[in-house]
Amino acid sequence: MADSLDQFLQHIVNGVMLGSTYALLGIGLTLIFGIMRIVNFTHGEFYALGAYMAYMLVALLGVNFFFAILLATAIGILFGAVLEFVVLRRLKTTDIDSVMIVMIGLWIAMQNTEQLIWGGVAKLIPSPFSQQPLVFGPVSVSPLKIFVLATAVILLIAFHFLINHTRLGLAMRSTFQDRDVAALMGVNVGTIYTATFALGSGLAAVAGALLGPVFLVNPTMGDLASLKAFAIVILGGLGSTVGATIGGFAIALVEEFGAGYISADYRDAFSFLVIVAVLILKPQGLFTMKERVG
Amino acid sequence: MIQRIFGFLVFLGFATLPFWMNDPYILGLLILTGIFIVAAISLNLLLGYTGQLSLGHVAFFGIGAYTSALLSRGFDVDLGFGVMLDVAPKPVWLSFLAGIVMAALFGWIVGRLAFRVRGAYFVILTVSFAQVMRLIALNWVDLTEGPMAINNIPPFTLWLPGLGVTTLTSKAQNYWLILGVAVISFVLVAHIVNSRVGRALIALRENEGLARSVGIPVTHYLVLSTIVAAAIAGASGGLYTHYVRIVDPDVFMFIYTVTMIIMVVTGGKGTLTGPIIGGLIFGLMPEVLRDYARPEVQWIIYGIAIVLIIFFLPNGIVPALGKIWQRISVWGSRFVPERLRLRLS
Amino acid sequence: MKTIRLLATAITTTLTAALAATSTQAQETIKIGMTQPLTGAVAASGNYVANGAKIAVDVINAKGGVLGKKLELILEDNKSNPKEAVNAVEKLILRDKVPLLIGAWSSTYTLAIMPKLIEYKVPLIVETSSSGKITTSGNPWVFRISPTSEMEAKAFLAKYDAFQPGIKKIDFLSVNNDWGRGSADEFSKYLKTKGVQVGSVQFMAPDATDLSAQLTAIKQSGGDTLFITTGVEQMTLALKQAGELKVPHRIITTGGSFPDQLIEHPGPKEMSSYHLLFFSPWFPEKAKYPDIAKVYVDEWTKRKLDFPGLTEGFRGYDAVLTAVEAIKTAGKAEPEALRDALWKTKLPAVNGDIAFIKEGPAGQESGQNEPNIYVVLLNQGKVTMPLP
Repeated sequence: MADSLDQFLQHIVNGVMLGSTYALLGIGLTLIFGIMRIVNFTHGEFYALGAYMAYMLVALLGVNFFFAILLATAIGILFGAVLEFVVLRRLKTTDIDSVMIVMIGLWIAMQNTEQLIWGGVAKLIPSPFSQQPLVFGPVSVSPLKIFVLATAVILLIAFHFLINHTRLGLAMRSTFQDRDVAALMGVNVGTIYTATFALGSGLAAVAGALLGPVFLVNPTMGDLASLKAFAIVILGGLGSTVGATIGGFAIALVEEFGAGYISADYRDAFSFLVIVAVLILKPQGLFTMKERVG
Repeated sequence: MIQRIFGFLVFLGFATLPFWMNDPYILGLLILTGIFIVAAISLNLLLGYTGQLSLGHVAFFGIGAYTSALLSRGFDVDLGFGVMLDVAPKPVWLSFLAGIVMAALFGWIVGRLAFRVRGAYFVILTVSFAQVMRLIALNWVDLTEGPMAINNIPPFTLWLPGLGVTTLTSKAQNYWLILGVAVISFVLVAHIVNSRVGRALIALRENEGLARSVGIPVTHYLVLSTIVAAAIAGASGGLYTHYVRIVDPDVFMFIYTVTMIIMVVTGGKGTLTGPIIGGLIFGLMPEVLRDYARPEVQWIIYGIAIVLIIFFLPNGIVPALGKIWQRISVWGSRFVPERLRLRLS
Repeated sequence: MKTIRLLATAITTTLTAALAATSTQAQETIKIGMTQPLTGAVAASGNYVANGAKIAVDVINAKGGVLGKKLELILEDNKSNPKEAVNAVEKLILRDKVPLLIGAWSSTYTLAIMPKLIEYKVPLIVETSSSGKITTSGNPWVFRISPTSEMEAKAFLAKYDAFQPGIKKIDFLSVNNDWGRGSADEFSKYLKTKGVQVGSVQFMAPDATDLSAQLTAIKQSGGDTLFITTGVEQMTLALKQAGELKVPHRIITTGGSFPDQLIEHPGPKEMSSYHLLFFSPWFPEKAKYPDIAKVYVDEWTKRKLDFPGLTEGFRGYDAVLTAVEAIKTAGKAEPEALRDALWKTKLPAVNGDIAFIKEGPAGQESGQNEPNIYVVLLNQGKVTMPLP
């Protein structure tokens, strides 16, 4: 009996840590998808970009680990802003499918550029933390993972503050609710779009920079991240940052428990099964009020 | 009129291609590209004409492929509770048709479930469906062989007039088969699109609320178009199975859906010839690029080409060509006497 | 308007010209075709194998080539995708007219191209794929130098007694593809003949990065030895996480992959792991033919390629050596002659001896080689070969 409690606690610990980074990933996408209505296939690539930048800074340039994560995030934000400004803004179409195809093209280009520059072999980002796991009773967790959890939680809190208590946040929320009315009220929608894409991509980048040292960095790491992000967005409801936060933890815990108690092979299927169930039973997601069925 | 003559000439060109371009390599490329063009034509019905952004289309392709593979090789599976299902190998044409039916059935299921939601939610639901199918194919090893793959799949065997029952072994034979299926799909979709059903689909694509308000049974038509699209995709899956002759869960890869979408959107969604033009360009481009750049750069060029096409031709290639054609004919019409001009238009 | 016209013309002209152009063939080289996954999910390994092959070609050409002509390796990417594998092979056979192929890394890609071998009558040297189906599908054009999981298990059984404390109850953590599953099946089967019990068999999706669920289950199983079969990256993750979770088992990895990152960034102190390799680059002198191994390792290091790639690159290297030996035996670079020659081919290579025995349905056998395995121990960044 004690064994199963140990297992249970270990799963919770693993799930919470993953969940915190998933939440960041999910919030980023729900912003972009919700406010700009873009099926953003490059989201996973920004996740990978964050990881690669962290790798380059720490392993190749010898930058301080913590500073590198900060810098990697900044690069993610910058690159997102540039992408929006140079490509998305100038598209003559707002057709969701056409924009999606552009994101697909960029996804292919970004991923293969990463392979071109750093090669297909997975890279390890050395962290300053010790490899000896900390043991709390039956549960063991590495110091690095504790750092990731702490950082992610701080960022989540900071982000919620941004969305709910700043003018930028207000502008974003109003653009999400009704773009035209927001414009009438003086919101510069173009700037908000750039800020949204930059911020959303930056969140993906920081998730990548944080998880990079935990796992490994390779060119295709973004693909699974993209799909999970989409799952989180659906679960939480499009445009709901609270929903995405809770959704991130939920998906991570579902994966952990599903993999631990039901079947590990289907680990990544659980997120999809959850989506299917949610969409059939409560299509607007668990947290939005907005009517989604057409 | 001129468009019809032109179209017929192009068709003639394709039909006689094995005679004047007898390079088996190019035929091979056209065969594989053609299989995906058939799938793109079906996606166009759903995406272009009905306006539904389905990102799980590869699921129907894969279902058609697996069904045809399993039936043509025969299989036995333990259904639990001591029940064994033992199926002897069936002739290829029958397995192929079964694949179409199976895909259509799943089209119906997905249609009924997925069309409770719209927009982003529909997109994610369709992606999830394809992923779940892939995971089932991967893990239900008893039935599908999972990652060990189903191989030694028999090639197509058809009854041809004058030759009796023949196995299609040559490139040219396979090419004509694919061309035949492509033409049938094209004609089928064209027929639907130009009929009352098609007009209803377009109406609901443009403004669903309005269409509903004039009495169009929206869900009914959505499910119908999904079934037809799924069936055609299942057919292309069957063609793939008996040409490549090995099927594994990779047949559900998301990249295949991506390929089909690229073909449809760059060609021009909502146009009949869009998927064909887009298909030829983006199906053949990667092969052409093999000689010109290292592998990663080939992909980068491919990705950037997609972005550029949408950038400059937001509606796709076919509508842009249509505009060019219009300008040419307006310019050219000054040389044609009045009566003839009216005849030709 | 101008841009549209320009774009349309550019696209059409390029495609027509490119497709219609025939490749000019240099008459003075002997070509070998190779397809590997150079982009996509398994690009890392594909590139290692391709590099090994390229090195072998250079080494051979430096010694004067074969049959008086230079050797030319034509490499095509199969993009980690069976459909592209078919395209790659058709280009190699039909356009480049290669008389012999090497490929395609993953069993699925290899199975996909096998019908083409019969259609165009060209022999294939299989350098990595492990699925049993490859040599038992009745394809007389297939010659495999890499081992099946069954062979690996048999070879391991010979070393069973060297492990102290003894192996009594085993668990498996395998990647969910035919290689991982096959390995778990074969090792179970052969170890059971020594009375070993099988505990928990866990699988992981090829792109899974979090293996905590599987490892937690394994931790509870009561086994003493854990067999891990997967590629390098996932193996590195599995070992790291096993260390973090304090999984008590002795760990043995199979399949020839080595988690090189753990040399520079070792896991927790108590962690050590055994690895079954087909080539041990830290001890080239312990290879069956140390001189050959040394040439391979030296050339690789000279080109400043990743050291860890040596554990996979040798597959490409040995494949090229085999091809060259066959060409010499046949006396000419023609597919049918090469196929017949491969049956008679025997040579010393980086892994050991290469020779082909018949396997598969009578009358349509494929060729299979019986390779050597080496066991290394990794502990705190140090690699040793403790077993006889």
